[in-house]
Amino acid sequence: MNVISRGIKNALRSPLRSGAIVLMLAISIGLILSMLVARSSVNAKIDDVKSNAGTNITISPAGVMGFAGGGNNLTSAQVAQITSTAHISSTSATLSDQMGSTDTNLTPSLSLGNFGTRQMRFESSGSSSTSSTSAQPSEFANRPAPTPRTTVTGTTNPDSVSANGSSLTITSGSTIDGKSSKLVSLIGKDLATKNSLTVGKTFTAYGKTITVSGIYSTGNTFQDSGVIMPLATIQNLTKQVGEVSSVTAKVDSGDNVNSVVASLKTTLGDKADIVSQAQQAADSVSSLQSIASLALAGVIGSAVAGAIIILLAMIMIVRERRREIGVIKAIGGTNRKVITQFVTEALTLTIIGSIIGLGLGVLVSGPMTNSLVSSQNNNSSSSQTSGRGFGGGAGAMISGGFNRISSNFSQVTSSVTPAVFASAIGITLLIAIIGSAVPAWFIARISPAEVLRTE
Amino acid sequence: MLIVKNLSKTFSTASGDFNALDGVSLTINTGEFASIIGKSGSGKSTLLGLLGALDIPTDGSIEVDGVDIAKLSANKQTTYRAKKIGFVFQQYNLIPNLTALENVMLALEFGGMPMSKRKARAEQLLTDVGIEPDEQLRKPTRLSGGQQQRVSIARALANKPAIVLADEPTGNLDSETGKKIFDLLHRLSRSENTTIIAVTHDMDIAGKTDRTFKLKDGKITA
Repeated sequence: MNVISRGIKNALRSPLRSGAIVLMLAISIGLILSMLVARSSVNAKIDDVKSNAGTNITISPAGVMGFAGGGNNLTSAQVAQITSTAHISSTSATLSDQMGSTDTNLTPSLSLGNFGTRQMRFESSGSSSTSSTSAQPSEFANRPAPTPRTTVTGTTNPDSVSANGSSLTITSGSTIDGKSSKLVSLIGKDLATKNSLTVGKTFTAYGKTITVSGIYSTGNTFQDSGVIMPLATIQNLTKQVGEVSSVTAKVDSGDNVNSVVASLKTTLGDKADIVSQAQQAADSVSSLQSIASLALAGVIGSAVAGAIIILLAMIMIVRERRREIGVIKAIGGTNRKVITQFVTEALTLTIIGSIIGLGLGVLVSGPMTNSLVSSQNNNSSSSQTSGRGFGGGAGAMISGGFNRISSNFSQVTSSVTPAVFASAIGITLLIAIIGSAVPAWFIARISPAEVLRTE
Repeated sequence: MLIVKNLSKTFSTASGDFNALDGVSLTINTGEFASIIGKSGSGKSTLLGLLGALDIPTDGSIEVDGVDIAKLSANKQTTYRAKKIGFVFQQYNLIPNLTALENVMLALEFGGMPMSKRKARAEQLLTDVGIEPDEQLRKPTRLSGGQQQRVSIARALANKPAIVLADEPTGNLDSETGKKIFDLLHRLSRSENTTIIAVTHDMDIAGKTDRTFKLKDGKITA
């Protein structure tokens, strides 16, 4: 029986009260852990988004967005300027056009719908609008409207057309060389079905016969209704030699993206609109950053709450045991021994609270982090478990519940990095120290003469 | 040998200074059983507190075996209390969540006895004051008042103190039990040659001690 074991024994002296203190502490420590986990996983997510953000820069003619807006295409001189900019490792250029029934014998696979009709309402009003833009080539002058059109994209790199930036999926045939000027094409899956086109067959566009080299599929209805041809082919067919409607430049390293954007802005001036993926990524994570700082505030708040709980509990305990402290001092106990005993008591409560709190934190932080940052991974796992619950009845639901806990656990443990763990332990220690320091001061001031006081 | 010279203690209160003790001088020989009697508020407890180094006198000296305890540092006073003084209180003042045995062992710990020897010594002390082995493992709340006072006497004697200070040791006990406790203290003072100073109301008890000091308004009157 020494001072340490007395302290531990005292902590368990009144089970109901100790239980209440431990529970309150556990809740605040659980909150600290889950907030730390939320913060670290949010930060990890921010880093992930930033590091995975491509180094691509998209340069489009000023005022043009898709097929909307107005302005002049980028010229070959401007493309050359872009290509020669330092730190740009590669570029791909595209020129897009829309083919109506006079341009091609292809039947569009997209119906016009409300959106398409609205886009074309001006062109249907007569020839006055087309005559005012007489600078355009004669092919475009007398388009009957409104009819749905087929989008054709001339590109130096067919893969750049894919929806997600990875390589284009060719379902049959083979891809085309974007650098050539041959009359070949890739046809979107929907358009190919609509026109019964297969590899090797031909169709007419801009008065020429084009061979189908391959069929592609992107899963995007708009893109699967289009045609891809080499850039030079489209430039020749539409008599826009050297012109492009969009350039995608790849920068050699993420660190150089900002400087490249700045130098492009200088060289191209107001002729082009420049958008970098890194900029888009930074914009998209700004809300995550505010969640991270919110989580930090949560950590501080729960740490303060924990410290106050243990502080008040220890003050209450010390006041209540004034006489006992006086007795210990009277029979020769030193201040240090009495303080050590009470600090041990506070530490015991904090440690028990921490163990329960960390357990609570593990259970809580998964769902909490999910609700703060919904990630694809979790969505799929939850839909999986709910599916099982419906299918297999109660047993499957229970196993689904366990899966959920174990998935939370693995998710949390994966985010409980040594740094997070160290800060959780550090904060807990801080709580115990603050929680004992003030009571220790009270203890030191209690006079041994207290024992002679009769109540 | 305990020599008290010109001892004073003044408390500051809202209504001005209050002299709890006013120039008390007395001498008690080693092994003597002395009693201090006086009415409530006469300064009995204050004197006892000063003799036990629980409090510091405003003026005067307390010499115990040639050392003035009033001039010791706080740490030395704690050591003095641990080794030279044993306290017996009216309310027993045992630590409620420790067993009788552990209460005595606690005093031995403060007295500096090695851990391995404490248990045997505590058991011996408790047996000497008449606490049975099964009662030694009980907590104070499961002991009678007389038994608790016996445990507190065993605790007071744990470190073979020079002086045992008893504050109304029989005050909370019925007269028969009180007499037994008094006899126990008396026997110990004889067998161990321990100086015992008891504060009491009970004139019967005071009459049986070697010497009686009477306090009134902070002064010794007889």
